[in-house]
Amino acid sequence: MTKTMKFLLASCGTVALASAGSAETVRIGITQNNVGIDSYQTTYEQAFIAAADANPNVEVIVLDAGGDVARQISQMQDLIQQQVDAIIIWPTDGQALVPAVRNAFNAGIPVVVTNSNIAEAGMDFIAAFSGPNNIQQGIYSAEMMCDALGGEGQIVQITGMPGYTTAIERQQGFDERLAELCPGVTQLDIQPGDWNRERAQRTMETFLTRFDQIDGVYSGDDNMGVGALNAAIDAGRAEGMVFIGATNFAVGYDAMARGEYWGSVYQSPVDDAEAALQTALDVLAGEDVPKLNYFDTPKITQDNMDEFDRPVF
Amino acid sequence: MLIARLKAGGPTLAKQGILVAFILFMIVFSFMSDRFMTTGNVMSVFRQATIVGVMALGVTIVVIGGNLDLSVGSMLSFATVLVVDLHDKIGPELAVPVMVLATLCLGAVNGFLIGILRLNSLIVTLGMLSVIQGLVLIYSGGQNVDIANQSETWFRVFGRGAVMGIATPIILFVGLALFFHILMTTTAFGRRVHAVGGNPVASVFSGIPRSRIVFLTYLISALCVAVAAMILGSRVMGSQNNVGQGYELQVLAAVILGGTSLLGGSGSILRTVLGVLMLAFIQNGLILMGQPYYTQWLVTWAVIIIAVWLDVAAKRGRLLSPIA
Repeated sequence: MTKTMKFLLASCGTVALASAGSAETVRIGITQNNVGIDSYQTTYEQAFIAAADANPNVEVIVLDAGGDVARQISQMQDLIQQQVDAIIIWPTDGQALVPAVRNAFNAGIPVVVTNSNIAEAGMDFIAAFSGPNNIQQGIYSAEMMCDALGGEGQIVQITGMPGYTTAIERQQGFDERLAELCPGVTQLDIQPGDWNRERAQRTMETFLTRFDQIDGVYSGDDNMGVGALNAAIDAGRAEGMVFIGATNFAVGYDAMARGEYWGSVYQSPVDDAEAALQTALDVLAGEDVPKLNYFDTPKITQDNMDEFDRPVF
Repeated sequence: MLIARLKAGGPTLAKQGILVAFILFMIVFSFMSDRFMTTGNVMSVFRQATIVGVMALGVTIVVIGGNLDLSVGSMLSFATVLVVDLHDKIGPELAVPVMVLATLCLGAVNGFLIGILRLNSLIVTLGMLSVIQGLVLIYSGGQNVDIANQSETWFRVFGRGAVMGIATPIILFVGLALFFHILMTTTAFGRRVHAVGGNPVASVFSGIPRSRIVFLTYLISALCVAVAAMILGSRVMGSQNNVGQGYELQVLAAVILGGTSLLGGSGSILRTVLGVLMLAFIQNGLILMGQPYYTQWLVTWAVIIIAVWLDVAAKRGRLLSPIA
């Protein structure tokens, strides 16, 4: 066989493969917020890759912005250049990414936003949003708090990072629902814990100094909730105090099993990742996809925790 | 007459500006909240201040030596993740020394690059801030680490224990502060750090081993981070990968508030302790008064800027710059 023949054969093979591929597989690019910075995002990425691998018709390009807005914008440009079939984005900043999303829209590439939504101005340019409903999560937490206290009591709230959409929405859902459902429960004060357990512990210590009677604590996630619990245990005041969180973490799950922690909202990064991929596939299949796709994040309490696996993060 | 007296007493008073400001703050806060001056609250704030406090001691020495250390925040993340993760894998009696050694290695890298190779400390430690954060993420794979059995390990003593009613972190902080104060004020090493920071060229001509002194200041800084990590890990019994993020600024703020000159050559460990306590009491006091969080940022940094201004003003004997 001559070299030329080999070359020709190889070329034909490649062309055949390429055309066969383009007929069935779809190429989806994802640019994530900050993988590795917390267990949730790390598990999300692993689950996303696993879900894509399990589907032979999907080829994914997995990128991570490392929390950097500028890097995410250039990743969006790269994905547009590569003419992927769809882009999934976990925005580092809901506001700043709007122009990049519009560019993709103009290039005819559907964009699915995952986990935390883009700003209102960008809603026209996205195909769909897929993620947890943070306002609903706040509502769930308010309902659990109301249940646990029997409608009467004084509580404090420790929120996530000020300015972060998830933190704002959870607080909004909680505050509104609590006021409406449980007028007998008063919120003594609301202070941030910055998603940081040690910071939440410090905030709680100050609350304990300031208020003689605290019946319940709502924290924007379990990581901070456990910090607040630690502070109350240290002060010898945890007995009878109700701790409600959100995004059930393994430490929160364990504290719940010990009876120290009342309840939380179960949010699985695996569900989150799989929902994002499925939404993108539905969009590409031409299905009529609603703008806002929320995956289920149920209440988890000491009573029903057996139905849930211990979170991996 | 009064003015003359004020003028005479002014310089001495101004030199203790931070102490005066601290006392003023304490008085104002105790009027605003009746919970502020209780033993329980004071001890609690003192204990909260120890993590930033211990790190600030080391950074003070680095800054007196004429350099900066911005890597302490991610170094704290590194050390805490390491000690908490190893706690369950190899036991606390091995985890603590391994963590201390690993942290000292990072300090040695800083010291080598800045002391021996004479690279700019701002650039090196800013770079190390990211490098070390990357190391943490590679080591942990992004997962949070937790100590499974929190109530039975002796490791709890660093963050949660107490000796004769005084919390161990406070004892560690005060002990280290006194030790470093004596080191910096009475030993040849302390004088050499001041000399190297004050005038590096002159110090070399005076036969001071400048490279070695700078190297040692970074080892001390890393050692302080290791102690802070023991307190933090034991207090929280777990760690996020970015747990120390932003601490470098709090540490630097405390050092500046304590009047240590960023130009090197002058500063005091005991005044850094005051700076640390003042920042902690401001944050505590504002929450006790029920102020929303944004006032904490505003007030904290306004106080720092005013403190720096007063410090500079005291040195030149007038409020405004003579050139302005």
